[in-house]
Amino acid sequence: MRVVALYIDAQVADWPETASICSRFDGPIKTVATADEVYADVAAAKDPVRRGKQVLYLTRNKGAYIRQCPGTSHYTCCGYKILHVGTFCTMDCTYCILQSYFHPPVLQYFLNHADLNAELEQLFATRTIHRMGTGEFTDSLIWEPWTGLSEALIRKFAGQDCCALELKTKTTFIDTLLDLPHRRRTILAWSLNTERVIGSEEQGTASLGARLNAAARCAAQGYPLAFHFDPVVINDGCEAEYRRTVERLFAVIAPRHIVWISLGALRFMPDLKAVVQSRFPQSKIVYGEFIAGLDGKMRYFKPLRMKIYRAIAQAIRAHAPDVCLYFCMEDDEVWQDALGFRPADRGGLTRMLDDAAVRQCGLGNGSRLG
Amino acid sequence: MASDGEVTEECDRLIPLVDIDPRDERFRITTRRASDDLHLSIGRLGLRVPPLVVPGAAGFIIVSGFRRIAACQGLGWDSIRARVLQKASPYECTLKAIAANSLERPLNLIETSRALRLLDQYAPGGQAPPEHAAALGLPTHAGLAARLKTLCGLPAEVQDAILEETVSFAMACEIGRMEEGLAVDFARLFRQLKTSLNKQREILTLVAEIARREGINPRQVLTEDRLSRLRDAQDLDRNQKTQRIRKLLRQRRFPALVAAEDNFQSLRQRLALGSNLQLVPPRDFEGTRFTLTLNFESVEEVSRLRVKLDELVDHPDFKTLLTGKGRGFGEAPVP
Ligand code: SF4
Repeated sequence: MRVVALYIDAQVADWPETASICSRFDGPIKTVATADEVYADVAAAKDPVRRGKQVLYLTRNKGAYIRQCPGTSHYTCCGYKILHVGTFCTMDCTYCILQSYFHPPVLQYFLNHADLNAELEQLFATRTIHRMGTGEFTDSLIWEPWTGLSEALIRKFAGQDCCALELKTKTTFIDTLLDLPHRRRTILAWSLNTERVIGSEEQGTASLGARLNAAARCAAQGYPLAFHFDPVVINDGCEAEYRRTVERLFAVIAPRHIVWISLGALRFMPDLKAVVQSRFPQSKIVYGEFIAGLDGKMRYFKPLRMKIYRAIAQAIRAHAPDVCLYFCMEDDEVWQDALGFRPADRGGLTRMLDDAAVRQCGLGNGSRLG
Repeated sequence: MASDGEVTEECDRLIPLVDIDPRDERFRITTRRASDDLHLSIGRLGLRVPPLVVPGAAGFIIVSGFRRIAACQGLGWDSIRARVLQKASPYECTLKAIAANSLERPLNLIETSRALRLLDQYAPGGQAPPEHAAALGLPTHAGLAARLKTLCGLPAEVQDAILEETVSFAMACEIGRMEEGLAVDFARLFRQLKTSLNKQREILTLVAEIARREGINPRQVLTEDRLSRLRDAQDLDRNQKTQRIRKLLRQRRFPALVAAEDNFQSLRQRLALGSNLQLVPPRDFEGTRFTLTLNFESVEEVSRLRVKLDELVDHPDFKTLLTGKGRGFGEAPVP
């Protein structure tokens, strides 16, 4: 979706980064004293979620840049850290939880990078292993057309040995990243799905083929890669379609390039359902067999999750028996059923992923967390 | 509140009944049609309160007293004494028509809807001042009034269901957003089942979601063979029909979940736990903890339960209950 208006927080109006972004933008630009005017613009629209994707607000991150990933109780969380560089997204996936996460949802990009760098330096100084990513409250690479954020982060992470950065995306905005001296400290990651789900539920995203080609180009430049089958959407014929996606993945990417692959079935807070029903009346995605999970999120009935996980895991294992394969927010029962072990058997999920990062990203000289 | 300065005049007159057009119901508020109850009293005591009429293009239009006039016609009268409004605007007639009803008795939902609609229809500028509605005892909250106004535009069968109170106001508003045929289908079903609002909501949601899921019209779900057979079943009472219809719809909306529930149930039955031992699975089979409840009064009973528990631990179906979730408890016991 095209950004059609740019709002600038008066506090960052004369910053060089602001000028740089403005020079790459050809729509109306307005400086505002507070965010209220931006929120009012978005809230007044017939479809505030859509408007929120078309209005970019340049401002400061007034909270912490580095945050703990908000895992939920009862399900195994991976101990990830979030680098909070901005919010929301220009693509428009029907299932996107960000639609009901922010009130109102606004595309914001934070410019106080001195604070970001200070927080990173502090973390690097602990010399403990960390994994972090920018793709939790936004897509990591949507900012590429306007900013040099990814380049700066890749260079920054290349200068240390204990933290791996994961840039998670559904775009193919990698051209500016290919020749950077990354020292394998940055993992480029793509969300993968079936052609059907991408076509019907992921508006404005790159096709599966384009994502895989972009990944292959990054692999050729020595970048470690990750893939996330998330959200796995269960519908008639999905097992065969996910197997086909796995085939296509391994047809272009050798397992040795892959740091980890995650699987996560579609889950959402109950209030997202009404948003999807009203914004995407054609979508059938919320009419799956959902039950209320132990964390209050809607999840597919567990035996259905187990079945599709078994199928995808089996397909992945057939190509990459040793790749680090994990579940995002599932319990031991699911792990045992689909993968044949529980995270605790291998030192816990955090340990498993840290090990994979150490191996694939060359992290070292650091002590482990927890 | 009645006017723009002019005083509406009213006079009593004897009017031939043939001069009153009972089919002109533009000011009708009451939903009651039958006038048998009035027959008797008017026949015995005469017409104690004269109806209110207004001169029309040909003859008179009834403002209030529809049932009284019908009763007089039924009694074979030639003429009646009526109050005739002179120089009354349609809006003034509306106010009088509503007042004659709402200040005498509580209006039902359809009557309230008609009253609010009439006010808007004839108010100068298209919207009646809220104080007029308030003076007539009508709701003034804008959102509530807007929803109420839709009711009298609903198909007759839906309105009947509202009047019978088999469909609540909340449900009527939901049904009112549907296309007419579907709204009528739901009204018929709910009139037949006479079930609670929560169950109606459940049925409505299941039907809508099945239709979305399967890409068909919701009316096809409601007219599906098995559902129709349940509705027609002579040997089932209303509660049984409701229960089976809900189960049927749930089965179609959540096939794997309901199959797992059924499989779990039959495995549990095979364990023959008896009445002193209850085994409850985690809600929707999501968690991993089962609950076993033991009921006893004496040491002897505990002793018997201990034997039962020992048998249970070795029972292959019990193992399947605990480990067969990935297969929906549907296949052979896990070795
Ligand atoms: S790409 Fe990610 S952040 Fe963007 S709309 Fe889709 S799910 Fe949301």
